[in-house]
Parts: sequence; structure tokens; C-alpha cells
Amino acid sequence: MSDEAKSSMNDGVPLEPQASANTGQPQLSALTANTPVQAEAGGRRDASPALVISGLTIRHGERVVLEDVSLSAAMGQVTALIGPNGAGKSTLINAALGLLPCDHGSVHLLGQDLLRLDRRARARLVGYVPQRSRLSAPLPVREVVALGRYALGGSFGGVLGATRRAVDEALAAVDATPLAERRFNELSAGEAQRVLVARALAGGARTLLLDEPTAALDIGHALSLLALLRRLAANGCTVLVALHQLDEVRRVADHAVLLHHGRVATSGAPETVMTSPQLTAAFGVETDPVGALAFRLSTPRSSPVEPR
Amino acid sequence: MRALLVWSSLVVVLGVVAVLGLSIGRGELSGQNGAVFLELRAWRIAAAALAGAALGMGGVLMQGLFRNPLASPDLLGTTAFALLGGQIVLVLVVLAGASLPLWLPAELLLPIGCLIGAAGALVGLLWLAERASGLTTVLVVGFLLAALGSSAGTLLTSLCRDQWELMRALQGLSLGGVDGTGPAQLALGAPLVLIAGMCAWGWGRALDVLLSGETEAAALGVDVALVRRWALIWTATLTAAAVALGGAAVFVGLIVPHVMRNLVGVTHRRLIPASALGGAVFLVACDNLARALPTIGELPLGVVTGLIGAPLFIVVLLRSRQELA
Repeated sequence: MSDEAKSSMNDGVPLEPQASANTGQPQLSALTANTPVQAEAGGRRDASPALVISGLTIRHGERVVLEDVSLSAAMGQVTALIGPNGAGKSTLINAALGLLPCDHGSVHLLGQDLLRLDRRARARLVGYVPQRSRLSAPLPVREVVALGRYALGGSFGGVLGATRRAVDEALAAVDATPLAERRFNELSAGEAQRVLVARALAGGARTLLLDEPTAALDIGHALSLLALLRRLAANGCTVLVALHQLDEVRRVADHAVLLHHGRVATSGAPETVMTSPQLTAAFGVETDPVGALAFRLSTPRSSPVEPR
Repeated sequence: MRALLVWSSLVVVLGVVAVLGLSIGRGELSGQNGAVFLELRAWRIAAAALAGAALGMGGVLMQGLFRNPLASPDLLGTTAFALLGGQIVLVLVVLAGASLPLWLPAELLLPIGCLIGAAGALVGLLWLAERASGLTTVLVVGFLLAALGSSAGTLLTSLCRDQWELMRALQGLSLGGVDGTGPAQLALGAPLVLIAGMCAWGWGRALDVLLSGETEAAALGVDVALVRRWALIWTATLTAAAVALGGAAVFVGLIVPHVMRNLVGVTHRRLIPASALGGAVFLVACDNLARALPTIGELPLGVVTGLIGAPLFIVVLLRSRQELA
């Protein structure tokens, strides 16, 4: 990394030696940029893969949970991971995060072998958003987001100027600034998911792995969260998201990967995957061209967070 | 800022209850033995403060460790097993009698016994917690452990009926009390509490992250197994030190962190010092009360903390329902 690049990275984000790992990835402040984003997928572009999973195999005893799974997620794109219950989506996400021991395979992010990095270094590169956080303590949102900076070390949560600024920027990036002083356990499910995305961004990660983040949300909040993912991708983030609802895939993803019985059944453009025989085999359904009911956000919400 | 205010207020309150404690009790301070009374009271106040601080911090750590606001060393059997460990050591010391080497005084053996007991109970509980399906199971198993430890302690006490002094010592430990603590116990207890407390504080950030559960914490860069192991070690150390200093003073580890959480929030680096100070205030005040209440003889400290703690616990339980739901 050149000195020039280093100094430019430190313009908006406080100087952190670890930030150098994010070569070529956007600063936190840039994520709030109002890049013209299509509310739905469609403006796809060819992008080079940032996250590359190759030949990943995981066994639990005799049972093979993932077998020779290879896929890649490109920077600036939303890659959707789909598959029926038990297909191995969550296992794949956990394995990519380095939380599960892998029998074979590798996970590379921008050329770095993620599975060989230590926990903190990995956490600075990859952010994780669960289906629903297990955090139930009455922690203020600002401090929840500051937890995302744990891997940077040293700071006294929410107190130091650098942390405060990063937390503010992360909250702004997910349109959750009005939530800053509220308690996390009092948020709606949709608001909580936004805060978790902010937590994932606050530590500097620009690659997000999300495990069915819309599963507990009503359709309005789900669409709003998907729009946020699209905007983050448009601003340069790499997004790999496991999705349960197939209609969401078409709406949000640039690329879809279908997992079935722990293997990649097919992958490609969402339209192709959605109409593939593999999808029919995996879910036992087929696309119904007649009478399809689809929803979109009625108006661009001024703020996706609700007034108290 | 708010935390600083709470901490400094607690220091002032601790000073007030300590000074109050010096003037409470049988024996005239103005008499010829006044200085001796004063010294004895000072030692017991210091012991109560240390034991209270240890229990307060131990409670915070356990509630963080199990992500459950209802966890505490006494509710989940850690205190009972620390007590049992201490009681076994007392019996062994008496059995060993004169054959005990001089370099191994009973004051040193008691905390070690407590530590082994507390660590054993915690390891067992954590092992079960990792396999149990829910927090309720962990709580129930904790209750069972507490009952088992205290029954075993009672069994041991009843077996020692023939030796009056030993039985009194065993009972004294289980009822709680800081009377008779001297510089030797304090010299051993103080470093344990200080070191364990400071180390626990040092892990505060990691414990905060761990509030989100293991998967999220690991994804955020926390070495979950390492943090749990050390939190367990510090909790066992604090509980053991508290039991060795003041016996089983129940409910302190449950009530104090709860009250402090309302004052300074759930962040461990604010909560641990606040609970240490709050625990010290609570136990010194309870000890003052034990001496001030007009009863035949002195009330055991554990009885006072129980009488105050149990009703408070019910209030806590009702308030926590929403948190647990």
C-alpha cells in the first residue's frame, strides 16, 4: 500500500494500523454517499471477486454438511445464498467467518487467506449479521455499534473521539442515526437489524456476511433492509447474504448461489437460478409466471427507523 | 461521567458506613480496651468490605458469563461449593492437628479449599451449560448444585458433632460472618480480590461483546473459549476469597449488580467497579446491622443479607421478567 493511499484512507477514518488491510475498499464515511442505486437489482456490472470460497468441505462426524463448495462474491455486488432448510447456508457463513473448523478448502478475501488470519484480523475484514441477535441486554445502541470495534482493540467503548466518530458514521451509513441513544432491547426487529449492520461496519469491515437477516422482519422492514444492502454494495461493499424468501433474491441480488444437500447445485444470475431445474429439485417448487404477487417500498422512506 | 459520579458517591457512602461501623457494637470505646475494640472492628469492616466487593464483582462476572441477570455465585452453587471446600479444609486441618507443617497455616489452606470448591462447581456448571438446551436448565442445575453443596456441608457439620469447636467453625462459615477476621486473612484475601477484580475489569470489553452470544462475539473477534475460561477463573477466585473472608453471605452477588446496572448501565468496565463498591457498602452495612440489632448475641452476617436480600430478590425477579422474556 502506498503512503499516498494510506494518508487518503486516514482522511475520514481515524488512523488505525489495521485499516491498511482494507486496501481498495471504501471508507466508512463513503458508505453514506447517496450513490444512485436502483431499488432493485438490475444494474449489474461485472466485478472481480473479492471473497472467494474454494472447495470447502465440513463434516460433522460421518455426516457431510458441506461438500466441495466453491463460490465467489464480488465487490460492489450482492451475492445471495439460497437453499432449503438444512442445505448448509448458515454453516457456510459460519465457516467463511472462521467460526467452524473446515476439513478442506479455503476462504480468501482480496487475496488474503481468511482462515489463516487470527480472529481479530479476520473480524476487521469481515462483518457478520445474524438472523436475530442474541443480545438482550439494555445496552444503548451507540455502545452496541461500538462493540463492532472490539477487534481494533484499545478503545474504551464509545468514549474516545475516534470510536465516537466511527460509530456516528456507521449509524449514518445505515440510516439509524436517530436510534443512537435508544436501548437495543427496545428496538423493533427491523431497527435492530440495521444497528447490527452498523456494528458490522463500525470495525472497518467492508465485506458483510448476513445469515437470513430478513427472516424475522415484516415485508416493509425486509425490503428496507435489502435496499440498504444494495446501497452498501453500490458504495463498494461486498455482500454475501443467505436469504430465505426467493422473491427477495430476484429483488436484491446480482448473483445467486443455490445450495442443496451441502453442495452448490447451481449459480449465476438470479433469473437463471430461479428458473433452473435445480431450484425445482431443491425446493420442490417452480416459478409461477401467472398471478405472481410482488411488493416494493411504496415511497422512499425518509427514515426507515420509526419514531418512538 | 455518570459512572464517575456513581463511583465517587459509593466511595463516600462506604466511608460513612465504615465510620458508622467503628462506633457500633458491644464494648465501650472510651474504656480501657477501647483501642482493642476499635482495631477489631476495623479488621472486620475491612473484611466485610473486601468480601462484599468480591461478591459484587463475582455476581457481575457470572451474570455476564451466563448472559443471565439471575445468575449469581450463591444461586448457582458456586458459593455452596466454595463453602464445602473451605469446610473440608477445616476438617482436614483439625484431623491433621500437630502434623500440619508450620509453613502451611490454616489461614492459607482455607482460601485454597474454597477456590477448589468454587472452581469445581463452576466448571461443572459451564460444562452443563454448553450442553443444556436453555438458560432455565442451567438455572435449575445451579439450584441443584447449591442444594447439593449445602447438604454436603451440613452432613460434614453433623459428622463433626463430637468436636464442638470444629462444628462451631463449620457452622460459622456457612452462616457467614466477619467477626474474628484478622490481618492474616486480610493479607491473603485482599490481593486475591484486587488481582481478580482488576483482571476481570481488563476483560470487560470482551465480556461486553460476549453479551451478544458466542457466535456474534466470535465473529467480532473475541476468543470466546479464552474469555470464558478466564472469567470463570476470576469468578471462582472472587467467590473463594469472599467465602474465606466472610463465609456465605447470600444474595450480595445477585442484588448488587442489579442495582448497579440501573445506575451505570451494563458496560462491564463501569459495572465491575460500581458493583465492587456497591457490594462493599452493602456488606459493611449488613455487618453494622448484625451488630446493632438487639438480639441475643450477634446475628450471623448471612442471616442479615438473606433477610434483606430475599425480599429484594423477589423485586428483582419481577423486574427481570421482561428482560428474560
